[in-house]
Amino acid sequence: MAKASDIRDAALRGDLETAFAAMRAGKGAEAVRACAAAYLAFIDRFPEVKAETIPLRGREVSRLLRWPALGANMDPDSVRAGKPEIAFERDRFSVSEAMTYYQFVLDEILAKEKGT
Amino acid sequence: MKFGLFYELQLPKPADRDQWGPDAERRIYHDMLEQVALADSLGFDYVFEVEHHFLEEYSHSSAPELMMAALSQRTKRIRLGHGIVLTPPAYNHPARVAERIAALDILSDGRVEFGSGESASDMELGGFRVERRMKKAMWEEATREIANMMVQTPYEGFEGEFFTMPTRNVVPKPLQKPHPPLWVAASRRETTMVAARLGMGSLGFGFETPEELGERALEYYRLVREELMPIGHAINPALAVLNTFMMADTDEEAMRRSANGPAFFSYSLGYYYNPAVGGRHQPGGSNVYRDFLNRSEETSTVQAQRGGFLTAAEIASGEPNDEIQKALYRAARSGNAIGTTETLRRTLLKYEAQNLDVMIFVAQCGDRKHEHIMESIERFGKELLPEFKERHETKHKAWRADQLKGVDAVINSSV
Repeated sequence: MAKASDIRDAALRGDLETAFAAMRAGKGAEAVRACAAAYLAFIDRFPEVKAETIPLRGREVSRLLRWPALGANMDPDSVRAGKPEIAFERDRFSVSEAMTYYQFVLDEILAKEKGT
Repeated sequence: MKFGLFYELQLPKPADRDQWGPDAERRIYHDMLEQVALADSLGFDYVFEVEHHFLEEYSHSSAPELMMAALSQRTKRIRLGHGIVLTPPAYNHPARVAERIAALDILSDGRVEFGSGESASDMELGGFRVERRMKKAMWEEATREIANMMVQTPYEGFEGEFFTMPTRNVVPKPLQKPHPPLWVAASRRETTMVAARLGMGSLGFGFETPEELGERALEYYRLVREELMPIGHAINPALAVLNTFMMADTDEEAMRRSANGPAFFSYSLGYYYNPAVGGRHQPGGSNVYRDFLNRSEETSTVQAQRGGFLTAAEIASGEPNDEIQKALYRAARSGNAIGTTETLRRTLLKYEAQNLDVMIFVAQCGDRKHEHIMESIERFGKELLPEFKERHETKHKAWRADQLKGVDAVINSSV
């Protein structure tokens, strides 16, 4: 089970609850911005994730690049520089895009908090 | 657990020639008609067919609505599933999709399953000038409006980001009310969870293991109960997964008959969906099957000849982390529903125990033979389907009803 209410860190939990409320209200862009804020806060809270890599198409890439590229994109240069930033290439987002970001951030936070 | 068949209409080119024979496309279309008619007569629950464009050899199924219309007149009970319709407006205008779904629902006496998605191959996105970064938003906008068109009289019209339309009455209306069950293609866990929140069935293309399915099914149904934000006017709580399928008297014979179907399925899917590779495709000129035989020794006939598929433990130790790559890896190597009646029973009981709603078999793939597919459908229909059907009615429906307690949305689902 992966619920925002299971997140131990109060600030991260608050960010995701904000995102969820925005999704419920059909405000995709607001929800995506809240997810992006939550993910950057998560990286600050667990800075070791900046050094973690995952295999992708035969090479090792930063784990941070798993962040979905649906229009609010992780800037690879900022990741390489150790100061991750998410660049918004548009202002409007659909609810399903917001849901995708929301699920990603939720899973990442819970996995890290559980040490998995 | 219910059962279905899945069709891409694969057509590998002959390895020693540059083009197919003159009868090749006619043959796979008519083979499919025959296979589905047999499946219908034996009690299979679903057939799902893709919509793909320009993906030579991988999929020659670009007009599934026509195949479905033909099937509606040759079958009596089997549910006719679009798995899926491409709904970004550049592929199909939303009003045309609503009209076709409704017309098919009428022709089939209410047997349509409406799956939707957006595809991810450069060949298709580029061919129809669909912007990759916007495709998910396009899918959602169009799918939401298609559901409205099937329900509203008249459709109130729409001023959207990706299409606009004045007030019109979109006719005919579907037989199923408020509209046929909605599904979405889900290759990743995240998308399955999006499906749950939107009240859509998840057509899982990730070749998930039974163990993964257990957690996923519970989470999916929890989200339907607790976090539902329906995209349509009725929800379709349903979790389906794909598996490659072939049966015979012995496991070895089933693997031999399976040939390199699953490996080619995986290879050609990766070929078109990996932009680095798919982008090099020469329309009308490439021979994907020949490439497959030459370049992927590990996943070609050599593998099948030396004894076939890997065990679950071997798969777990060697598979990639990325979900799409993992799906390709499993499609080629897991062989979960390939074997004797007893082998399949053992495997499928594991999925049943994890409360899977629908298992969809990929039978037609690579250069498998029609007669082997027919024999497998018949064997499964006679030797395994009845016992699973009985437990579906007695046990699974009760489990599912329990999962859906407290859900107050309208439900239209064939599960």
